[in-house]
Amino acid sequence: MLEVRNITKIYHPGTVTEQRLFENFSLTVEQGQFVSIVGSNGSGKTSLLNIICGSIPIEGGEVLVGGKPITKMKDYRRYATMGRVYQNPAAGTCPNLTMLENLSLADNKGRPFGLGRGINRKRVDFYREQLRALDLGLEDKLDVKMGALSGGQRQAVALLMATMTPLEFLILDEHTAALDPKTAEIIMRLTNQVIREKHLTAMMVTHNLRHAVEYGDRMLMMNRGHIVLDRSGAEKAATSVDDILQQFNALSLDSGT
Amino acid sequence: MKKLFSLTAALLALSLTLTACGKQEQTTTPDDGSSGDAAQTEPYLIGISQYGEHASLDNCRIGLLQGLEQAGLVEGVDFEIDYQNAGFDDAIATQIAQGFSAEDVDLMVGIATNSAVACYAAAEDKNIPVIFTAITDPVQAKLDSGNVTGTSDKLPVEAQLDLIRQMQPNASTIGIIYTTSEPNSVSTIAEYQEKAPEYGFTIDAVGVTSQAEVTQAVDTLISHGVACLSNLTDNNVVGVLPAILEKTNEAGIPVYGSEIEQVKIGCVASAGLDYVQLGIQTGLMAAKVLTGEATCEDLPYETISEYQIYINSQELDAMGIAVPEALADKAMEATAAE
Amino acid sequence: MTDLLISTLTQGLIYALISFGVYITYSILDFPDLGVDGTFPLGAAVTAVLLTRGVDPWLTLVAAVAVGALAGLFTGVVHVCLRVRNLLAGIITMTALFSINLQIAGSNLTVDRGTDTIFTSAPVMALLGDMTLMGRKLVVSLVLAVVIKLLLDLYFKTKSGLLLRAVGDNADLVTTLAKDRGAVKILGLVISNALVALAGCIVCHEQRSFSATMGTGQLVYGLAAVIIGVSLMNFYAASPAARGLRKIRGLRVLASPAGTTAVILGSVLYKLCIQVALSAGLPANMMKLVTAMLFLLVLVLSGRKGEAIIHA
Repeated sequence: MLEVRNITKIYHPGTVTEQRLFENFSLTVEQGQFVSIVGSNGSGKTSLLNIICGSIPIEGGEVLVGGKPITKMKDYRRYATMGRVYQNPAAGTCPNLTMLENLSLADNKGRPFGLGRGINRKRVDFYREQLRALDLGLEDKLDVKMGALSGGQRQAVALLMATMTPLEFLILDEHTAALDPKTAEIIMRLTNQVIREKHLTAMMVTHNLRHAVEYGDRMLMMNRGHIVLDRSGAEKAATSVDDILQQFNALSLDSGT
Repeated sequence: MKKLFSLTAALLALSLTLTACGKQEQTTTPDDGSSGDAAQTEPYLIGISQYGEHASLDNCRIGLLQGLEQAGLVEGVDFEIDYQNAGFDDAIATQIAQGFSAEDVDLMVGIATNSAVACYAAAEDKNIPVIFTAITDPVQAKLDSGNVTGTSDKLPVEAQLDLIRQMQPNASTIGIIYTTSEPNSVSTIAEYQEKAPEYGFTIDAVGVTSQAEVTQAVDTLISHGVACLSNLTDNNVVGVLPAILEKTNEAGIPVYGSEIEQVKIGCVASAGLDYVQLGIQTGLMAAKVLTGEATCEDLPYETISEYQIYINSQELDAMGIAVPEALADKAMEATAAE
Repeated sequence: MTDLLISTLTQGLIYALISFGVYITYSILDFPDLGVDGTFPLGAAVTAVLLTRGVDPWLTLVAAVAVGALAGLFTGVVHVCLRVRNLLAGIITMTALFSINLQIAGSNLTVDRGTDTIFTSAPVMALLGDMTLMGRKLVVSLVLAVVIKLLLDLYFKTKSGLLLRAVGDNADLVTTLAKDRGAVKILGLVISNALVALAGCIVCHEQRSFSATMGTGQLVYGLAAVIIGVSLMNFYAASPAARGLRKIRGLRVLASPAGTTAVILGSVLYKLCIQVALSAGLPANMMKLVTAMLFLLVLVLSGRKGEAIIHA
């Protein structure tokens, strides 16, 4: 269970550009729940992910995992049980390392990075098998530098890397936004598959309303640091894209964007 | 693994060729280095490495050439010069010295400590004789034994103290600025501190690590109320002498130099070295080593045998200091000294 | 002529150790570590003191590596834990080391000819006693440079080495691997400064002296060597010759040499350029201008600006 409790987030506190984003904001995500989050720019959806991951500090409140506060825990420690895929395909992999080196790094997560061989040859077949399952023709490109691959291919590898070792939470930050529609569909399908197979608790921020409606058990719409719509179960299943679009447009008019 | 193998092979091949050419060299290089045969037909080749552009160091070089000529050697006939300047860069000084060694020069001359040390290191292999000049403390620089000798520009500290005492009978504290990393300066300061009480002075020494700190050090000394400043041959300090004088003139504090060039710039007086003279002395030694009349081992390093009192009347007048008669006869006007 | 080539080559190989250090901090970690200008003389200062006290010459290498590592640790802690910007963290270390170096050595220090250096030590004399000192210097520096190159190549392939490369490439990814990127950066600085101090140590053996100002400009030297080496290697890797070699199985390694090889090459070339300029009678005062121009030329010719070269 993932929980944020009464958090306050202020950008540039004490300056003329001070901006209060969250005040007493709370949200609870149940174990195994797949939450999709939509909202206009500045609504706080990416900030929320950053707060959960510890990438940005908060001015008040608590972040809890399984009921235990992790607010003071350093970001890198939180990732022991979390995986994250970013919007920018370049952010989830090392462009100057080969795909094999990238996968080996991810495969070693949770174990010490000592003076043993960086690449475990015995695992190569396993990597190939995983890559073949992506169906993007990546299985023959293990020795290619990540930077030489397309955005979609990199994002698929990033997803694979983020979920390679056992984990509980998967954080997806508009991870299909920079991809062409066809690739976005492939990545989205893969994402859903891995979340279900590994029974992960997932939070996915997306700009794609259809993805938000089609995937996940629960959908949130955020606006100016507030949750303005929260649907799950049968209610969510009954929600159509048009329905959400109307709500969304109403909000955009409200906020003048 | 293959990579490792090919590298090892290349290494092996290289070391073999080196061994071969190394052996060859040994047979052609005379063991004592100083070629003693009188029937020299080819002119001697002298490599001069000067640490940087600097009036005193330039004077050393000019004097050196004069000294060689005084010994009866003619440039172009008896000797040729390969002159290089390191621009105050240690790594360049190293490369210059190694260049000399590769050229098989008959003699290396190192002007100032860092260049001399680099020459001596590069000369080790072929045992080429090294002559140095403008080094205050050859013992500290480990240039006092072996196939190396030269002249030291150790300051006549007592003469300077005596000079200041005569010029300023009531003065009590002498301020000195020096570079802490410069062994020559450190040892001279020690000597100043040891000798000062005999002349009724105390020394207020302020250390700096770079040229940028010198003017601040001047301010410090002025605020301490020193009676005068006395300079060493410290490059960082001498390099900004005009800026120092600007401040001291305003405060009405006289500055004593350590050699003629400083008096020309505006110090009131100096019991100091004439670097051209030092160079001549060095040139005479170099000639002896070149012609085989003596080896470096035979010649202990020399300090300058005579010092000279230089004065700058204009500056003395401005400070209201009258030259005592006992000094007036000996002193030379610095501007006229050219 | 041969002599000059040998001594220049020796200089290039010894100074390659600095370039290795700079390669790790600047090329891999993207950290312009000015501390190098202090660590290099630090290695020399410790070495000069130990040599004059009669310590075994080979032990001074170990001592230099240890103090260099400490200096790197200091820069790293200042940067990572005290959150001081990388350039400033290096400057702080460099400045502090100036005093510390003088504290260690007293003042500029010379080691007399009677004292054994690694080049005249018993094991080297037993193996290479037939050679001239100049020859021994070349062989010993070549062996040192190659051994360290191979060790670094091996290290870059370990888990720790991969993580180090990853931090320079994409630090956020390292965080998501649940590793502290700061700790990895510190590790990189420790290794880099250890190498730079080792370079100072070897230079002290070679020159028999330590001077407080010998560190000035060493970071720039290292950068120049890295950039010259790496960009030339890029040229080569894109050339038809390399493409041809890549097709032949056994020769494939020759087609894409390691970055460390490029660094050695760059260092040697740099020293050669200086020597050529000196031999051509160029005044030493102009040398820095030549360096800057050479630097610029390589950057422009390679058609890439800093970043791209670095991460090649």
